[in-house]
Amino acid sequence: MFKQFFFSELRYNLRQPMVYLFFFIVFLLVFAANSTDNVQIGGSIGNVHRNAPHVITTFTTVMCIFGLLFAAAFFNNAALRDRKYNFQEILFSTPLDKFGYYFGRFSAALVLSTIPLLGVFFGIALGTLIAPLAGWIEPDRFGPVQLSAFVSNYFLFILPNMLFAGSIIYMLAHRFKSTITSFVGALIIIVAYSVSGQFLSDLDNETLGAMVDTFGNRTYGVISKYYTPLEKNTFNPSFSGLLFWNRLIWISFSLVVLALSYMSFSFAERKTKTKAEKKQHKKEIIDILKPTVHVGKESFGHQFFSFFWINFISIYKHVTFRILFLFSIILLISDLISGFEYFGLQSYPLTYIMTDSISGTSLFVMIILVFFSGELIWRDRDFRINEVVDATPHSTLIPLFAKTLSLFSLTISLHLFFVFMVVCYQLIKGYFQIEFSTYFFHFLYNSFPLYLVTSVTLVAVQVIVNNKYLGYMVSVIIILGLDIILSIMDIQSNMLSYLGSPYLIYSDMNGFGPSNVGVFWFNTYWIIGAFFLLIISGVFWARGSVTSIKERMRFKQGKLNKRYLMLVSIVGVVWVVLAVFVYYNTQILNSYKSSDALEKLAVNYEETYKKYKDAPHPKVIEAKYDIAIFPYEKAANISSKLLMINPYDRAIDTLLLNVSRQWEEEFNFPNASLVKEDEKHNVHFYVFDPPFVAGDTLEVKIKTSYRTKGFANGGASTSIIKNGSFLNNFQILPGIGYDSGKELSSRNKRRKYKLPPKDRMPALEENCGVNCMENYLTNGFSDYINVETVISTSKDQIAIAPGSLLEEWEEGDRKYFRYQVDHPSQNFYSFISAKYKIAKRNWEGVDIEIYHDKKHGVNIEKMLDAVERSLTYYTKNFGPYTHKQCRIIEFPRFSTFAQAFPGTMPYSEAFGFVINLEDEDKNNVIDAVIAHEMAHQWWAHQVVGANMQGGTMLSESFSEYSSLMTMKSIAKTPMEMREFLKYDHDRYLRGRAGELEKELPLYKVENQSYIHYGKGSVILYALQDYIGEDKVNEALSEFLTAYKYTTPYPTSLDFLSYLEPKVPDSLNYLIKDWFKEITLYDNRLISASAILMESGEYEVTLEIEASKIKADSIGNESAVELNEWIDIGLFTDTDEKILMHQKRIHLTNAKTMVTIIADSIPAKAAIDPRHILIDRVYDDNIKKVKID
Amino acid sequence: MGKLQLKNLTKTYANNVKAMDDITIDISSGMFGLLGPNGAGKSSLMRTIATLQEPDSGSITFGDLDPLKNPKEFRKILGYLPQEFGVYPRISAEQLLDHLATLKGVSNKGERKDLVHYLLQKVNLFDKRNKSVKGFSGGMKQRVGIAQALIGNPKVLIVDEPTAGLDPGERNRFYDLISDVGEDVIVILSTHIVDDVRELCTSMAVLNYGSIVFNGTPDEGIHELEGRVFEKKIERSELEKYTQNYNVISNRLIGGKPVIHVLGEKPDEDFSAIAPSLEDVFFSKLQG
Repeated sequence: MFKQFFFSELRYNLRQPMVYLFFFIVFLLVFAANSTDNVQIGGSIGNVHRNAPHVITTFTTVMCIFGLLFAAAFFNNAALRDRKYNFQEILFSTPLDKFGYYFGRFSAALVLSTIPLLGVFFGIALGTLIAPLAGWIEPDRFGPVQLSAFVSNYFLFILPNMLFAGSIIYMLAHRFKSTITSFVGALIIIVAYSVSGQFLSDLDNETLGAMVDTFGNRTYGVISKYYTPLEKNTFNPSFSGLLFWNRLIWISFSLVVLALSYMSFSFAERKTKTKAEKKQHKKEIIDILKPTVHVGKESFGHQFFSFFWINFISIYKHVTFRILFLFSIILLISDLISGFEYFGLQSYPLTYIMTDSISGTSLFVMIILVFFSGELIWRDRDFRINEVVDATPHSTLIPLFAKTLSLFSLTISLHLFFVFMVVCYQLIKGYFQIEFSTYFFHFLYNSFPLYLVTSVTLVAVQVIVNNKYLGYMVSVIIILGLDIILSIMDIQSNMLSYLGSPYLIYSDMNGFGPSNVGVFWFNTYWIIGAFFLLIISGVFWARGSVTSIKERMRFKQGKLNKRYLMLVSIVGVVWVVLAVFVYYNTQILNSYKSSDALEKLAVNYEETYKKYKDAPHPKVIEAKYDIAIFPYEKAANISSKLLMINPYDRAIDTLLLNVSRQWEEEFNFPNASLVKEDEKHNVHFYVFDPPFVAGDTLEVKIKTSYRTKGFANGGASTSIIKNGSFLNNFQILPGIGYDSGKELSSRNKRRKYKLPPKDRMPALEENCGVNCMENYLTNGFSDYINVETVISTSKDQIAIAPGSLLEEWEEGDRKYFRYQVDHPSQNFYSFISAKYKIAKRNWEGVDIEIYHDKKHGVNIEKMLDAVERSLTYYTKNFGPYTHKQCRIIEFPRFSTFAQAFPGTMPYSEAFGFVINLEDEDKNNVIDAVIAHEMAHQWWAHQVVGANMQGGTMLSESFSEYSSLMTMKSIAKTPMEMREFLKYDHDRYLRGRAGELEKELPLYKVENQSYIHYGKGSVILYALQDYIGEDKVNEALSEFLTAYKYTTPYPTSLDFLSYLEPKVPDSLNYLIKDWFKEITLYDNRLISASAILMESGEYEVTLEIEASKIKADSIGNESAVELNEWIDIGLFTDTDEKILMHQKRIHLTNAKTMVTIIADSIPAKAAIDPRHILIDRVYDDNIKKVKID
Repeated sequence: MGKLQLKNLTKTYANNVKAMDDITIDISSGMFGLLGPNGAGKSSLMRTIATLQEPDSGSITFGDLDPLKNPKEFRKILGYLPQEFGVYPRISAEQLLDHLATLKGVSNKGERKDLVHYLLQKVNLFDKRNKSVKGFSGGMKQRVGIAQALIGNPKVLIVDEPTAGLDPGERNRFYDLISDVGEDVIVILSTHIVDDVRELCTSMAVLNYGSIVFNGTPDEGIHELEGRVFEKKIERSELEKYTQNYNVISNRLIGGKPVIHVLGEKPDEDFSAIAPSLEDVFFSKLQG
């Protein structure tokens, strides 16, 4: 029986096109993703083979989620096909074997649902075969096709995932006997999946997140997060570790569901619910007289409202709607209560954070819109009431518009409900600054156009297509598919992308600007366009019993009254005018280049101008700026006077300038004339006549100005805005000389254009001499210079430039400020203007100032403390602070970063200012970030590395280390620091896994952030633990004294020469292992047991395993001889908060037994209990102590 | 009140089926029965009159109104109950009728409510007015259907196969309702049940393969056949012989044996003359 059902189901489906169609979709997607860069599945492939097991696994796990919808179709069919054809009563009355029927069908559906996903394998295999031959991808980007990866993916992911989805859908289908419910079930699984992802948003919950992931997708992500490229190319996922447990959990879960649903399945029809009709009381005979009724001229308004209302309640009462509604609520709630932003902390429930959460539900609302657009248009015909309705005297446009409005109103009520929910959440959280205007404008700019245009468009699509399912398909293509097509065609105009508009981001400082004007016009363009489509679709509206388009249209002929034609032409004309207006603004007034064009331009620039790379260029030695910012006009005028010197021993005769496309620039070079203007690459050539002789200086005047014109396709510049303008000196001046920053950097793209590999950072040299005359920040265009600025802005704002404020005055409606730096500094400045409140504190003659928005005062005291703490620690341990002021300046959240300029530190409003620190008595993200940026006042601004390998270690590693040390200075327990180090460890290990070129040892770091921040800080922190805080700081301080504010610039070797004498001989290996090589540890605690001795003390025996691994630049690892000092320790508590005992032991063997005498009972034991060594898997370092 | 005049209506569907083949009839007030076997084109004709589809050619006039050119005006005086009257799920009888009453131009809310209540009472559904129509039985649904068709005092009432699926009691109640409408109203009733026409209609037409094969009063039809219909009980095996030799217009089984009706001269002594029924008219017209 089983066999019969199994094979007949299989045979039936294999004769249907569905399975092949699904297979083809998957195949095509994967093939495209594998053999082009235009299509991506689960992120870019990066540096590993395009057919690596890691890529196969990523593709498989992502496609499995799509696969759910296939599964829904197959399992639902297997359960309900007999019912659909009304065959079940005949079939079920035959002597069927329940087991064979139930599981035969199920197994066949299971097999069928995995078939489309085989498309992944075929796509990869074919891509491997064809892409190199066709020349799409270089042959060396492919490794051998690994069949074993296909096999393990099939059994690890595809089969279990389809089993999981199938068991639930099959159960639902049998239970509810409704296709819709089955698909809703599939949807629920997807939601559950996305909710489980919330658990992963902080490192602490990673394991939990990996367990609850129903598809094992993120489980694999957790496992592979530290994989090096080599490992990604070779490792196959296997039934082990986290993945084993995850798969075990979900396979068992599926089997339980299946068993339960089998037990409750019966061939007998479920009794259709019959509500016992209440015995009717002999009802009173009422005799209603026939009323006199006025059948007047039909009333447009009444008919419209009646249509609207009857459709509105029908959706609102629809089960599918209620389920989707419920799930969007669950999604919203889970989004509100979970999710950490930084270091396990959350922001206050600011209104803009709430509106972001509301936007997160829009996917559900879109699903509701797609589904009900079809439902609404078809319900009259589906329920066969169309003829009655159609034969009533109403104008066809009335139901068309009323239905659209009912759909739209529903989304509005959903939105209002969501707003109500999040406002409640804000109140529950005790947050009372509820900004209803933000809710309103968020709605106006985002949700309103999205829902309105979507409702209108989808209704029109359903009417025109006149086939419900085809209509659904067209709808999905418009919403999702259009962008794929546009990206393939390299079209970036938002006028063609569905509901495209510039990116709008709300900032507490700047509101919805500066792109809101563009967004408004784009939205208007879309709304009117959608209405035009809707009115046009009125012609296609199927009234009466007509079906073909010809008939539908002919039926209308002669009935297209003048009013309708007027409407069409008015709306059409308005739309065309809008389109022209938007086109003029985004394509002519603010033209842009597509990404392909930009790529080609970069290639061309490199090919044309690379030869000037080493051409001599003058250095700036003094700068005077006169800056006028007009925040409300979004404009700026700047005139700069730069004193330049020819630092070479030969004359400079030509000068290459990279001018800006956005800024108007006017140059005045004495003795130089413009000889060539390359409009395509925005390059100007000046020739000096007479030549600019060696050692000579000259004063250059440059006038630059910026005007905002209309609105742009991609949005307005965020540099000059209403409140929070933020410019740096690179933006306002032309670039001198060949700019290698304009080169294409992606290795694969460079290959595509046949460019040689990008120049690497200059190699680290000992005694570099003249090669150390450039630092990596300013690239040899200046050293430490004096700067004076006069900056003006509108009267209600404060403008800030580097240095001390010397004067401040008002003239008309403008406010002027004159600043001058107190000490020659790096030529690396920012100019800022906004409405600020200033919090001040004086620390030993230094003015600490925090310029912040008036709404963001809550964490200011903590910030002042952090600045003060940093100043204290750094001046004591490194050297004096060289400025008279120390400013933190808030800027709008268009970017999320903090940055150190000499004496000033711009800090984004998005993190720090709005983080909830009420329950934090410990160090936190603010302390960490401020201490880091403060440290840059020494490391980067007093001493900065030469422009060669290892340069960033001297600024970023030192700053991150300094930051850790200030935190350590107030940490109450040794364990507190582990929490912070954890993030640096993770940053390093994750970073090296994603390395696209090659990993280098710390002292040769090439501006790779995971190395200089992550590894650098961890290593320096560990080093001070091993040799002493004083020793490391002494080395730093001596190094600083030797090199501050001088050229040539130092290298990492120079620093090591100060460090090495501080390291005792016994630990000398640390310099080699940690700084000069790539060393990782793989330590673990095998077991820990304790015995109570007679003395009342505990003898704790630890069995430990330690190994040291050296890695090369591409991730090849080899174990090396062990000769290490490593900590072991005991915790009193299972939360690992109190380290009761710690000892540093010398290890030479892979396996060691250690005995410790503890005076009280330990809960846990650990090797490297404070996590100071770089250990690829740290979790296994700690074990509970077994008490014998 | 005016007459409904159909002239030369023709309609051919995409699959070459001739649904209407040069149909010309005048329909005046009172009940008009449209009789025809399944697939004769009754519904196409009804839908065409109800402005739901257009003929390929031909014209319709009602007084000075041209429903084809100005369907909106005609719809104002039209009541239509299609063959399959479906209802929205999750909507109560009262809500549904209220909606349709609004569409038919009963704009005053109070009047509309009174009207809906009156009609619900009339079709004996007043106490179920808040129930979802979807859960109604076929007969109850059909009663909602007639209630909606009566909204707004239609001058032309079209009911397409209204009694299909109704039990005899429901059928009778249904006809009571229809015969209750005013005398100056044109009621077009399509059916394939001869008795319906016999009992209700003052005039009738028989439709076959899209063309009118008879148009007149039922009595006229019967009168035409007076003395020309004969009946005989035969053996089953003889059926073929009789059909070949005589003009057999119908046969049916009575007590397991075929009884045939023959049209024309009395064939032989074994045949007995009978008074022709409307059914004989129907069958004879179908044979042309």
